[in-house]
Amino acid sequence: MTVDLKKYPTIAAYAEKTAEPAWFTELRTKSLEKAVSLALPSFEKIRYQRWPIQLKQPLGEKNSQKNLIEKIDVEQTDNMVVQLGQETLELKISDEMREKGVIVCDWQTALQEHSDLVQKYFMQKAVKTDEDLLTAQHVAYLTSGLFIYVPKNVVLKKALTSYFVQDATVENDYVHHVILVVGENSEFSYLENLKTVGEQATTANIIVEVIAQENSHIKFASVDRLGAKTTAYLNRRGYLEKNAKIDWSMGMMNDGNIVGDFDSDLVGDGSHSEVKIVAISTGRQIQGIDTRVTNIGKHTIGHILQHGVILSRSSLVFNGIGHIIKGAKGSDAQQESRVLMLSNKAKGDANPILLIDDNDVTAGHAASIGRVNQEQLYYLMSRGLPKKIAERLVIIGFLGPVLAAIPSKLIREQLKTTIERKLIDGQKDE
Amino acid sequence: MSTLEVKDLHVSIDGKNILKGVNLKMKTGEIHAIMGPNGTGKSTLSEAIMGHPAYKVTQGEVLLNGENILELPVDERARAGLFLAMQYPAEIPGVTNAEFIRGAINARLPEDKPLSVRDFLKRLDKTMNVLDMTEEMADRYLNEGFSGGEKKRNEILQLMMIKPKFAILDEIDSGLDIDALKVVSRGVNQMRGPEFGSLIITHYQRLLNYIVPDVVHVMMGGRIVKQGGPELAKRLEDEGYAGLRDELGLDIKLVDEEA
Repeated sequence: MTVDLKKYPTIAAYAEKTAEPAWFTELRTKSLEKAVSLALPSFEKIRYQRWPIQLKQPLGEKNSQKNLIEKIDVEQTDNMVVQLGQETLELKISDEMREKGVIVCDWQTALQEHSDLVQKYFMQKAVKTDEDLLTAQHVAYLTSGLFIYVPKNVVLKKALTSYFVQDATVENDYVHHVILVVGENSEFSYLENLKTVGEQATTANIIVEVIAQENSHIKFASVDRLGAKTTAYLNRRGYLEKNAKIDWSMGMMNDGNIVGDFDSDLVGDGSHSEVKIVAISTGRQIQGIDTRVTNIGKHTIGHILQHGVILSRSSLVFNGIGHIIKGAKGSDAQQESRVLMLSNKAKGDANPILLIDDNDVTAGHAASIGRVNQEQLYYLMSRGLPKKIAERLVIIGFLGPVLAAIPSKLIREQLKTTIERKLIDGQKDE
Repeated sequence: MSTLEVKDLHVSIDGKNILKGVNLKMKTGEIHAIMGPNGTGKSTLSEAIMGHPAYKVTQGEVLLNGENILELPVDERARAGLFLAMQYPAEIPGVTNAEFIRGAINARLPEDKPLSVRDFLKRLDKTMNVLDMTEEMADRYLNEGFSGGEKKRNEILQLMMIKPKFAILDEIDSGLDIDALKVVSRGVNQMRGPEFGSLIITHYQRLLNYIVPDVVHVMMGGRIVKQGGPELAKRLEDEGYAGLRDELGLDIKLVDEEA
């Protein structure tokens, strides 16, 4: 071991207790040392630097009260994972999945039983450990997560659903990592639910890496509903090899301040990323969403469609970044960001950013910020619908184009329900 | 039986006085028609009764069963029993017609006793049949991409499903061909009965051949200037509004009159 663990007694103790492989512990200490010279990442128009977003708590094992999970709606499906805080409460996959060689396991198990695989993919391709201060801190303090590995030539129709419940009944940082590797020619659907129990002020740092190998197709959906007092950094990044495709569908329904950094690197020729995001901000929260697609390979396609709604005194920023690297000939970068404001005190922003370094490409953008159409509201109310219900219908209508473009009907319905719930809660502050 | 009464109603929009003292009284079981030239305030009257926020009532009252409703927001007026079939209904993408109509019906029922989906669909199906509407109209987004005629039918569909006490039909005949006019009239006539009253706003007498009114009001210059039976409508069709104006000795310039 090249790093003297005596300098890091807490990390050493944790490593010993969890029996994590030496390479990983070494990565922690290296990242911690590197962190000193790294800065917070910057995102256009998202000023989060003063938030309590940095991780400060020492690395440690924390248990959660198991019965807290009863507060969360968990829908039983064939393939599912339920985690509360650092612990895994439930993990089951179908015989079909197991027989086809799919690995689904929690973070500690992954490090112990699939150390080589984890080492091969953990912050090697998608996100880098020393990218910025937040990624470095992430490695140093990481305590929970999920590892999913789908071998090549495996086509699975049934999705895997995860529930990651952050335990905010105590003031613990939540540092969570997901790796999803889908092999050549494989198809896989994954639905992630992020939630919070408890009301303590906490910090969450979550990184999700999705590796789509040659000719694979991944449907990645998420419904994020972190709590009002959770300050979160949420990074989801796809690394796409030749002819791979990722369909991202994300519902940002969090109640607290959050920076969402959603990126796709279209590395292989002919790779394709479709990013659909709906977001609702309520109360006084700030949600900053930075969505980037980088066309690196030839004939790659990157599309971003994001619609958001802001209520009360909340803020929502949508950045859409389409970056075409020189040499990415025949590539296409399109994006549309729209924000609907329901209140005079809300703040919204939709910034299209196109960076194009090659000539032989197509690119386009649309962005708008608008208010609720009063004629629509009047019409609905003239049929006896109370104002708040009428508003919700207009909002659902506004989010409609994004919802309609989400491939899975189940996800669409689930998102619609979450949107409805978030709106009802949010309207209470109006 | 319910009553709707408009008393000395003055309404302005963008600071311009449009209605200058309208008086009108009707009961359920009656169909009233308001006729009048363009720009005389007919649509203003309907929007003011319903409660469109752009129309400012500067004087007067609108009484539903003796209670002034002018302080109520539009949704409460609707739940109290008013309905306005609009000339230009809004389009709402993302909300299906059926979903919306069911929501409107349930807004009138106790929260714990909503109309069951099954009963709702049965009624919807039957009503759409009366209006010669195809089934897919139920699943389409509310008015989105509807033709002019489809929108009018859809207004009548809502009227028949919601069953208000009083329905104001604002130029429901405009842009309809004769077949569509017959269908729409069939719908309104089916609603006729002791618990339903309607105020029909129209330019033309034609609609009144299909929905025969009990009372005809003629509006000019922001006031009701004459009342009569169905024969009054026929006379206007023959003589035009200018004839009546001159007979009444009114100093009103008709918008469409040539200088």
